[in-house]
Amino acid sequence: MKWAILSAGLLLSSCAIFGARQAVAQSGSQLRFCISAEPKTLNPLLVDDDSSDTIRYLTGGVLVRLNRITQQLQPELATAWKVSRGGDAISFTLRRNVRFSDGTPLSAADVAYTIQRLMDPALHSPTGDSFRSGKGEVETRVVGEDQVDIKFPAPIVGLDKLFDQVAILSAQSPNREIAALGPYYVAENKAGAYLLLKRNPNYWKHDAAGRQLPYIDSIRIEIEQNRDIEALRFERGEIDFIDSLSAEYYDRLATRAPAMAHDAGVSLDAEQMWFNEVPNAPLPAYKKAWFASARFRRAISESINRADLARVVFHGHAQPAVSWISPANRFWFDASLRPQPLDPKSALRLLTEDGFSLRNGALYDREEHAVEFSIITNAGNRYRESMAAMIQQDLAGIGIRLNIVTLDFPSLLERITRSHNYEACLLGLVNNDLDPDAQMNVWLSSGENHIWNPNQETPATAWEAEIDRLMRAQASTMDVKKRKQEVDEVQEIVWRQEPFIYLVNKDALVAVSTNLHNARPVALRPQVYWNIDQLWMGPARRRDR
Amino acid sequence: MIVRAPGRFWLRTLGRHAARIFIVLMLGGFLGATLARLAPGFGQDEEELDSRLSRESVAALRQSHGEEERLPAFYAHYLGRLLRGDLGESQTLEEPVRQLLAERFPDTLASVGLGLALGWAAGLSLAVAAAMSRSGLADVAAGLAASILLCLPAGVLALLFVMVRAPGRLVIGLIVFPKIFQYARNLLRRSASLPHVLTARAKGLGAVRVLVWHILPVAGPQLLALAGVSVSLAFAAAIPVEVLSDLPGIGQLAWKAAMGRDLALLVNLTMIVTMITLVANTGAELLAQPAREGEA
Repeated sequence: MKWAILSAGLLLSSCAIFGARQAVAQSGSQLRFCISAEPKTLNPLLVDDDSSDTIRYLTGGVLVRLNRITQQLQPELATAWKVSRGGDAISFTLRRNVRFSDGTPLSAADVAYTIQRLMDPALHSPTGDSFRSGKGEVETRVVGEDQVDIKFPAPIVGLDKLFDQVAILSAQSPNREIAALGPYYVAENKAGAYLLLKRNPNYWKHDAAGRQLPYIDSIRIEIEQNRDIEALRFERGEIDFIDSLSAEYYDRLATRAPAMAHDAGVSLDAEQMWFNEVPNAPLPAYKKAWFASARFRRAISESINRADLARVVFHGHAQPAVSWISPANRFWFDASLRPQPLDPKSALRLLTEDGFSLRNGALYDREEHAVEFSIITNAGNRYRESMAAMIQQDLAGIGIRLNIVTLDFPSLLERITRSHNYEACLLGLVNNDLDPDAQMNVWLSSGENHIWNPNQETPATAWEAEIDRLMRAQASTMDVKKRKQEVDEVQEIVWRQEPFIYLVNKDALVAVSTNLHNARPVALRPQVYWNIDQLWMGPARRRDR
Repeated sequence: MIVRAPGRFWLRTLGRHAARIFIVLMLGGFLGATLARLAPGFGQDEEELDSRLSRESVAALRQSHGEEERLPAFYAHYLGRLLRGDLGESQTLEEPVRQLLAERFPDTLASVGLGLALGWAAGLSLAVAAAMSRSGLADVAAGLAASILLCLPAGVLALLFVMVRAPGRLVIGLIVFPKIFQYARNLLRRSASLPHVLTARAKGLGAVRVLVWHILPVAGPQLLALAGVSVSLAFAAAIPVEVLSDLPGIGQLAWKAAMGRDLALLVNLTMIVTMITLVANTGAELLAQPAREGEA
């Protein structure tokens, strides 16, 4: 008993010392980091780009939050929630005595107001669009001060997880644009230069010692497009973290200051290439025939040395990609799939079956056209430029001549979405959602983002029809096991048919200053500040600068 | 000999220049808008690749550039708004262009002003030293420095300054300096070799008196013309300098506008830079006119 009292006393005093140390450290503390572009909007309902998402994450209060480590939902403004058996309704019980940054109290009416705004068809909210599974109105019912029911016109799979991105607005506040429920609010915005966020004085969370969170007083977010200058500023201590490091810089930093460099493991993002299969694309008919052939696509895939791409281009901080779902997505990734093997002999066999022949080191199709195509990628992305150069060498091994064309992003976008004037494209599509349902527009043949052949009236191929069926089936059942089976089947079809040739999944590489405490970088976005209200600034963790 | 009424002459000259500025401004603005509109990728939003967006939302996104797609209509609306003092709204930064310019113009003016002052002070003083000194040392040293600086693009200099933590604004001075030095040195040398200057020297006039009374009056009009050119030079250098040194001025804004194909912003910036260049050149021309007439 004596020992227990003594231990408790020691524990309490160490907590007090720790708290005092934090209090000294955090007084007037400011976290500084860079984003690569101006946030396109500060309206949390209209967020559609990484920079705006950063601001929403730091300022928005959500009902539930996806824990970036466990990948499970945890309560935030809602203390409890329940999805209906049919998957078309959800009810939330709200936390009491919560106030917006301007002092306005949170009530169920605010949640109802937010949902109505979010689902307004005229708003064209990307977050709202992910809740649209059928035609009809969304009904919200305020049951009491802290209870709200929301009914959607059709079932939505993974309904509760979608609320991770819904920042609750105030229905009452006169400053509803800036009234925030998250740990910070936007205090200053110099367009194109920086944003200053200040600590929300009414933030509802407290630490174990009863201290109000967040610990850091303000956040200065600089807009810096140049990644080299961002790295330079990190080295000088002008910014406190970088949440997307290049592999070269990661290695340099890991050698010089290992405590600052973190490889958080494989991320959700994939680098991929695909061929233009749009029937009316301005391409010669024989090239369209090549690109539409699954054997041709598979042969290209088998000729690419993915392991080398990961080793040389990404310095080992990447792994050969297998599927449209990254291994970082623990639940939905089909672990039975393996990366396409490097096998130029098999590739040539497949090409021969398709009527191609290799003569004097050059490949010809059955009409004697030399096999040559161009691949477009975005200029200035060193990874993609290097990957394209390595793929060029790999394809030369089976007699294919690849021409690399780098374009600035808007020009590239115009070609892949409107003019369809391209042959192949190398790009990385960013993926933030864990639930595969978020990629319906990519996999449905009628989808805008079915990028190799979008907006099809009827599926062009049998396997696309099968993917349509499976994706619709997984979206219409609440049985997670059944959904998983259907999504696995889609992954297998994509693995066989290769409309997208997946190349590598990059690791999430981050740099964190030793002055930033409690940072636990993860693979999911936001890698560093996912626990922003727990972070604090103080003396360096280790003397490794 | 033609005798002119000075008031009416100046009024006519000013009117002519104002009309020229107006026409060039309108043409410059329209040309800028046309180039931006015809640039590949105009009207494209990265958000179109967001797989969450419904077909209707993608259509709405594309339609948001509707007015800008029809260039004559855009320009007509733009001019209409301009007459009411409304410069439109930036598509990429989602703020009124007027506010963006008001926020950023002082930064650029400070950078350009400092750069011009430094460039002119260093360039002109070294040019005078090189032209007047009998020893060739000043000429060789300043000439070498100017040649090296001429070879270095503003972007490279700005990057070097970022790396050594020097103020980026100074780069503009280093860009202006070699041009001023080389032009002024050649001009002063030529003026110094004129017969009346040689006579003055032969009569034993001091170097300062020769410079002030006999060389500068001859070189003055051309130096004023150089002043006009140096303003546009400094503004052009401000773009890479502000981008790399992270200075929130209109140079940085111009870069962002070009990258984002932000038509409203690009047209306004084109017109502002055109106006500054024209006004600087016209001002220099008008100031130099009496001197030229005096020479004649």
